[in-house]
Amino acid sequence: MTTSALPFTTRLHCLLRAFLLQGSWNFERMQSLGVLYALLPGLRRIYPAEQLPAEAKRHLDYFNSHPFLAASILGATLNLEQERQRGGEGYLGVDEFKRITMAPYAAMGDAFFWGGIRPFAAGIALFFAVKESLWAPMVFLTLFNLPHLLLRVGGFFRGCECGLELIDLYQRLHLPDLAIRFKEGTVILLGGLCGYQSYLVLTHQETVVSWGLLLFPLVLIMGGLVRRGISPLLQVLSLSTLLILGALIYR
Amino acid sequence: MTASSFFAGAVVSLLVGLDRTACAQFMLARPIVAAPLVGLFLGDPLVGLKIGALLELLWLGKLPVGAAVPPDDTQVAIGATVLVIALAPMLGGAEGSGLLLLVLLVAMPLGKVGQYFDRLARHGNARLLLRAEEALEREDLVTVERCHRRGLLHFAAAAVATYLLIVLAGKGLLPLLYPLYGGLLGDVSGWVQLIFFLVGSAAIVGTLNVSRAMTLFAASFASALLLFWLR
Amino acid sequence: MGIVLARIDSRLIHGQVLEAWVPHVQANCIMVANDRIGALSLQKKIMKAAVPRGIEVFIGSLVEVAQQLAGARYSGLKVLLLFDSSRDALRGHRDGIPLTELNLGNMHAGEGKQRYSCTLALDAEDIANFDALEACGVKIVSQCLPADHERDWHKLMALGGG
Repeated sequence: MTTSALPFTTRLHCLLRAFLLQGSWNFERMQSLGVLYALLPGLRRIYPAEQLPAEAKRHLDYFNSHPFLAASILGATLNLEQERQRGGEGYLGVDEFKRITMAPYAAMGDAFFWGGIRPFAAGIALFFAVKESLWAPMVFLTLFNLPHLLLRVGGFFRGCECGLELIDLYQRLHLPDLAIRFKEGTVILLGGLCGYQSYLVLTHQETVVSWGLLLFPLVLIMGGLVRRGISPLLQVLSLSTLLILGALIYR
Repeated sequence: MTASSFFAGAVVSLLVGLDRTACAQFMLARPIVAAPLVGLFLGDPLVGLKIGALLELLWLGKLPVGAAVPPDDTQVAIGATVLVIALAPMLGGAEGSGLLLLVLLVAMPLGKVGQYFDRLARHGNARLLLRAEEALEREDLVTVERCHRRGLLHFAAAAVATYLLIVLAGKGLLPLLYPLYGGLLGDVSGWVQLIFFLVGSAAIVGTLNVSRAMTLFAASFASALLLFWLR
Repeated sequence: MGIVLARIDSRLIHGQVLEAWVPHVQANCIMVANDRIGALSLQKKIMKAAVPRGIEVFIGSLVEVAQQLAGARYSGLKVLLLFDSSRDALRGHRDGIPLTELNLGNMHAGEGKQRYSCTLALDAEDIANFDALEACGVKIVSQCLPADHERDWHKLMALGGG
């Protein structure tokens, strides 16, 4: 039936639906219904109507990955489904492919986007926010969404084209190592931001600036407390209460 | 509080709340975007920017990994911005940052309630999955698609519920708390803001899997401070 | 050094493990003990690509992991050990993997499984396996992320199962 690739409009339809991947996220099978929802326009073209429900059912199996990298997996899945329909399922079946890629790709996406790019973009945008510039949200959105859309949209179409070879592409990208670079960058940005804010507060209070260096051990202690399960929220609430008490006594 | 600002907030809360998990995730739901956005609708984006920046800092290290649901910083940001802009004229002008910080300290713990509503939505989605499975048995694929889209309603409801709770609780509590603590908090506002910076950074440095994180942070902190001192 | 965290997680290497637990316990080595994956080279390759440089990864069968842990190569490292089921944890312990505490992270729902918390679904076999492990002196706790509260699994049984 289909010997060539899916028409561009069908692929686009699947890609747009992949943006709603987590619309019905649940604790039972997480993104599974979202996967079926995104793939259906493609599956409808690949399989004849009488075969479709049975093939669709396979995609209701448990699935959970990073929402951005999942688009690549879905693209490759469409490619593999076409191969399967042609009777040429390779050494790795469609369902097996999804099963073995979802968790490692979730780990890559979490590290790169949630742990790397997002704090880094926020770190830069925060400088604009401290300056009270309304460019801050724009800077944040641009810095985050450029890599986001590149990997989500580009990854989806690459997946459609190259199927299983997608795996090699991600082996070469080294996202976890890139993530570490962004994390290191974030820490440097935050250090500068904290240094600047400390300077502002200390001169305002007519205290010697070099006292600010004493704030650093405080950060160490706070970091240790976060590690021991005392949340940042609780720390802010209790320290603010202390400050209010201090102000009350000082008055 | 005027009804129009309240409803404008609710509309932003719904749209941005969907971006948080269910739809696209362009990061409109991050406090640093959501708060100035709602501020723009209510005529004071700078208040939103300030609130958004402080919340962004504090929860920078919270990750939505796997099945873990973080506190709803989105609705805290939106609710707090609406509260500050709406309450400022009622409480005798918004001089200083006292009101803003007090609103944040009241609204932030309520983000935990957002976790509860979010989980509720996700449990509701499990029923949709069952219904989709039944529809698939009947070979009714259109219903399968409808079930998935229905999930968006659950997430939207959770977002608006959290927003309502934060705004209503804030509206009840703040007129009582502000006369007591607003002035005091205004006096130490610089320090309280600094705490957000330090705790937020400490959280991300402490949870990073980067062995050099401490050194990098210390060096960058000291050089910024000393450079300004030299200037 | 040796094992700093032993965890049951149906997803094995994923975000919660790498982003939250590895920095929390300062692990510098991740071991996956699983007979099926230990024999699949492609899956091993993909899983290893998810781990950043600087963290050692060993993926092998239960027996291989037990041997490696007893050897000199991994004894100086802080190992985060992952199983994907209670059966593997019990078998691994019997094969000589030294466990003192076992963390329950994610155990997926399935036929005959009953949900005890958002991330844990157990059946009668799981519960029997945990009882057997506990009889060997292994402390079993449920904690999805370091920021969550650690809960004894007996408490989980008393609360959940609705």
